[in-house]
Amino acid sequence: MAVASRTAEAPDLDEIRKCVHCGICLPQCPTYRVLGEEMDSPRGRIYLMRAAAEGRVGLSRTFQHHLDLCLGCRACETACPSGVRFGSLLEATRAELRRAGPPAKHRLLQTFIFSVFPEPARLGAALALFKLYKRSGLRALVRATGVLRRLPQLAAMEALLEDVPAAAPLPEFVSARGRVVGRVGLLTGCVQRHLYPGVNRDTARLLALAGFEVVIPKSQGCCGALELHAGRVDAHASRARALAAAFPDDLDFVVTNAAGCGAAMKEYGHRIPELARFAARVRDVTEVLAGADLPLGPLDLTVTYHDACHLVHGQRVRQEPRQLLRRIPGLRLVELADSDLCCGSAGIYNLLEPGVARELLERKLARIVESGARVVAAANPGCLLQIAWGCRQRGLDVTLVHPVELLARAVDAHQG
Amino acid sequence: MPLSGTFLADLERIVGAEGLVRSAEGRLVYECDMHTFYKGAPDAVALPTRAEEVVAIVNLCRRERVPIVPRGSGTGLIGGAMAPLGGVMIGTNRMDRILEIDLTNRCATVQPGLINLSLTRAVATQGYFFAPDPSSQMVSSIGGNVATNAGGPHCLKYGITTNHVLGVELVTGTGELVRLGGKAERPGYDLVGVAVGSEGTFGIVTAATVRLLHVAEAVKTILASFTAIEDASEAVSAIIATGIVPAALEMLDAVMIRAINEGTGAGYPKDAAAVLLIELDGPAAEVEAQGERAARICWARGALEVRVARDDAERALLWKGRKEAAGAVGRLAPTYLLQDAVVPRSKLPAIMRELIAIGARHRVQIANVFHAGDGNLHPLILYDDRVPEELERAKAANEELLLACIAMGGTVTGEHGIGLDKAKNLPFQYADADLNFMYRLRRAFDPDGIMNPGKLLPSHPACGEGFRPARPRVPEGAWI
Amino acid sequence: MPAAARSIGEALVTIAGREGVQDDDRARTAAAVDGQLPRWVVRPASIDQLGRIVALAHDDGLAVVPRGGGSALELGHPPARVDVLVDLSGLDQVLEYNPDDLTITVQAGITAGTLATLLAPRRQFLALDPPGAAARTLGGITATNASGPLRARYGTMRDLLLGVRFVQADGVVTWGGSKVVKSVSGYDVPKLMVGALGTLGVLGELTLRLHPLPDAERSWLVLLASAEAAQAFIERVIASPLQPNRIEFFNDRALRSVPVEAAAAGVALSIGSVAEAVREQGERLGVMAKADGARIVPLPEGFWSRAARASTEGNGAVLHVVSLPSRLAETERAIGDAIRTAAPRGEVWISGCAGLGTFRVRVGNASAAETAVATTRLRARLMDLVGSVVIARGPAELRKAVDPWGPVETGPFALMRALKDEFDAKRVLNPGRFVGGL
Repeated sequence: MAVASRTAEAPDLDEIRKCVHCGICLPQCPTYRVLGEEMDSPRGRIYLMRAAAEGRVGLSRTFQHHLDLCLGCRACETACPSGVRFGSLLEATRAELRRAGPPAKHRLLQTFIFSVFPEPARLGAALALFKLYKRSGLRALVRATGVLRRLPQLAAMEALLEDVPAAAPLPEFVSARGRVVGRVGLLTGCVQRHLYPGVNRDTARLLALAGFEVVIPKSQGCCGALELHAGRVDAHASRARALAAAFPDDLDFVVTNAAGCGAAMKEYGHRIPELARFAARVRDVTEVLAGADLPLGPLDLTVTYHDACHLVHGQRVRQEPRQLLRRIPGLRLVELADSDLCCGSAGIYNLLEPGVARELLERKLARIVESGARVVAAANPGCLLQIAWGCRQRGLDVTLVHPVELLARAVDAHQG
Repeated sequence: MPLSGTFLADLERIVGAEGLVRSAEGRLVYECDMHTFYKGAPDAVALPTRAEEVVAIVNLCRRERVPIVPRGSGTGLIGGAMAPLGGVMIGTNRMDRILEIDLTNRCATVQPGLINLSLTRAVATQGYFFAPDPSSQMVSSIGGNVATNAGGPHCLKYGITTNHVLGVELVTGTGELVRLGGKAERPGYDLVGVAVGSEGTFGIVTAATVRLLHVAEAVKTILASFTAIEDASEAVSAIIATGIVPAALEMLDAVMIRAINEGTGAGYPKDAAAVLLIELDGPAAEVEAQGERAARICWARGALEVRVARDDAERALLWKGRKEAAGAVGRLAPTYLLQDAVVPRSKLPAIMRELIAIGARHRVQIANVFHAGDGNLHPLILYDDRVPEELERAKAANEELLLACIAMGGTVTGEHGIGLDKAKNLPFQYADADLNFMYRLRRAFDPDGIMNPGKLLPSHPACGEGFRPARPRVPEGAWI
Repeated sequence: MPAAARSIGEALVTIAGREGVQDDDRARTAAAVDGQLPRWVVRPASIDQLGRIVALAHDDGLAVVPRGGGSALELGHPPARVDVLVDLSGLDQVLEYNPDDLTITVQAGITAGTLATLLAPRRQFLALDPPGAAARTLGGITATNASGPLRARYGTMRDLLLGVRFVQADGVVTWGGSKVVKSVSGYDVPKLMVGALGTLGVLGELTLRLHPLPDAERSWLVLLASAEAAQAFIERVIASPLQPNRIEFFNDRALRSVPVEAAAAGVALSIGSVAEAVREQGERLGVMAKADGARIVPLPEGFWSRAARASTEGNGAVLHVVSLPSRLAETERAIGDAIRTAAPRGEVWISGCAGLGTFRVRVGNASAAETAVATTRLRARLMDLVGSVVIARGPAELRKAVDPWGPVETGPFALMRALKDEFDAKRVLNPGRFVGGL
């Protein structure tokens, strides 16, 4: 096993060496929790990366498998006392695997995903087809043939997309209500804009209410997060540059309401130094609204909050969404046990590794039932899709919402 | 020696394909515990879910004379959970259930893979806790705690793991599943007492019944900072000598303070040369009075600042820094040697002086974070493993420090255990006769020497005989 | 006397000196164990001598019976053989006292009373108070794992013994443990010696953990209408913030002999802490007792030693009964029933660490045969209560009629026998007295 076979994308050995093998990350790692084996823990994965860097193991299929199983939730980063940036190590290792490792698993599926998901227009078209599929008798036919059983990844995708709402486009500019406190851009996202258009609408409305002028460039594309997580670093870089270019320079913040996008955008500077300034302006919507004065009326609801990995671990935003929800009069926020344990969605993970994803989802649902809440708030479309699907499957009377949707309803309650 | 195909097939029949790790990559990640210096990959890793599977594995290994290495969360610091001779590693991680919580009798029975803190979390709302709190408690397993007789900051008042284990279910080296002790004590030798801390050399614990304690009424956490480590050491000796038994009494030196502040932002004073973390718990009135007494002692020993945590959040933050100390060292140096020798606590000022001198002599940086209240040192001797000569210097400093502790009446390990790391140091502390007794003790539980061979005792003689201690002289003419 | 015996006697004299070896009838009779006269009574003056005495016995196939204060010689089976009785009262030196470390190393023959006197000026103590402790040797307390009410807070000898020097069956002087309060260096050999009745080694030297004496201590007795009420009260105290150092249960008979006041059941508690905390906790205890409709009376100084005396008075058998805290009332009833059914005129004094489920039972007005029947019956009753019944004191006749230890499960017993075979294959040390005749 020659060290020479390593590429420029290899993970930084100094970063790997910061791991002191203490294992504090283990119980925080979703795959370790499910599988209980060292190679599917952050410590084990870092150990494998190090072994690869030192030429003790090759970029084998087994190596790839254990890396594939990682959800990239970065809970280990939150836990790590040595400050190992696991997310970066994982991205670099996946990039290296793409170049020098064995062929990727589920190649066809990945090709499909990466040619559709990050292209809002194509995703929109695909979803339109899906609606057709649902309404026509085709769905019943497909289900009846059992095709989906043999293609569990397809089944996962098919099941997730239960209801696709009609998307109404947002204007390119929304003016502030009252005194202007700043000017922000809004990322509409790929999945968000098609599956949860209401979240974007509510986000824009709340930002305006908080005194922000909201710029929503039509030309914006995908943030490139999915590609980065899969080690497709070149595609990620070109998307990142294009996205940054789509937003004007005079913005105070670029606001996202999708945790996965936000986490990737905040780290643009790591790989593309010239985007560091852009990255520094990226905020999650809850961070921006936390300091704002919003007219909130009462909502008589018991709500629990699920921490989206890329918000709590990727962006270290834990308190803001909770504080915002607590500000709604009448709303009772109950804590969700293991709220920051991944729900199994993890970008496209649930499509690629449905087994582990399913087990994580089951655990998440069990904790939700224990919480007694009928409303679960989460600040990422992937989590919303995954958990909502799980609730439907189990026949749970639980509604999934983005925190901004609750805030918007509270505003309605105040105004109404 | 690689395992035969038949053996592996037999093993797979016991734990199933999903319970067996055979790939080179999989085995590699099991080659070391937190003491990464010692590496030895097992030939296979079995991840059983039931005690019966453990029995079957031990019997299989015994038949083929294959070494067995038990492993919990792999957080040990002694090279205990690694396989120097290969063989089968048994990971208890999938045996992680709480079997029974019996609050009326204040105990719980758990599987060995259960994470220490999970037990406390399960009973916290009812006002109970599991006292042993190694700094790894958020990840280390109770089985591992039992195997190493783990200690932690609060062991100063509450005692170490052995004081909290009422019974164990053990699969011995002969493949017998025995239940030792239990909720109610029984006549006979204290087999639980010797099994705790036997580091997997007697067998594998498949369940443990442990004591639960009631949470104290009041807790007070005091942080005192000093400009000299000797002053802090003297404050510790004075607090103990005055008759206060704090729940915990921890010390951190300047190097450690810096690393922790960078890591968690625990807010330890930046300019201090030493910080004492004093925690008192008990009835409110007692905690109040003793807290004042401890604070007075600190002031009298020249404290820069004496601060009382105002609320649970601040208390948690002060502790967070301490608990993550070993991990935070990653910010200072890529590698370190860590040991945990103990000195009589009145000798703390003396050993700290000696430690500083040893560091200077061998030109190594030593970070200190330790259980000062029991005189249990934790010097982290920092080195860069890319510079071979640095490791040699660190090792020399380490050994010199150990010998200094023994010379002051101490012991080579206070809570981490012996493992592979300190087996060679055991003769510092014990005579041949003492070690011989231990070899024979091991033989009673594991006559074939298959359980975690190479650990705990120096060089493992196949017959277990080890030493022939000198017998006392019997007067001439007695054998008529 | 045969030549061999004479030369063994001479060898013993060579080791322990003329004054250290007795073989006259009077000395032998006084040292009899369950009626068996030793051939020699030897009193070593050093551990070295002790080692040589045991080595000699080992090589000559003689049985060694160690004796401390001689107060627990009725614990266990009558010995299989008694050849050399080793009187350890000569090993009574303090070897190293480190008050600032709260540790002390003593020879095993020193009495708990002597030690207490020595530690008092530094306001420290060994937190163990078995009945009659003052006259008992620490080696004896260790070998028999004796404890008293203080165990509720401080545990037993297994929690206090840090290091031990002992003589193996072949005479090799061996050390286990350490001299500091925290050590995991090698196997925890001291644990193995606690409660082993000297069958794995003769204890010569002990390093002990000490505790600071509390600033203040006060005791109270809560009088309750039944054992059930006592159990409920104890459970509430344990779940409360109170931190008593003793919580001792007394049945009606035991209460009458203390004596403070009569009641169906009583719970005596002591609280030791800083004065303010003692006062405050005492008040809370009063509130708790009142809430239960129970009377509470402050106890005078000396109550605890009176209670200890009362639990050992007379010649009746003493049983150690172990059950669970959750079954206090049930166990108390089972004990009473078993004894009264077997011995119609029998009397039963029960006291014990109720919070831990351990009871000390003194039987009066019952013959050995009646006590034997009661013991068997009680064991049968407690079987499903996971408990044990050990005869801590009683005539040889009783301990021959019924196994004084009770049954030991097969699995653990196989390990115990393996240990005995390993360390004392020739059965030199206290042969036959321990569990299963080890």
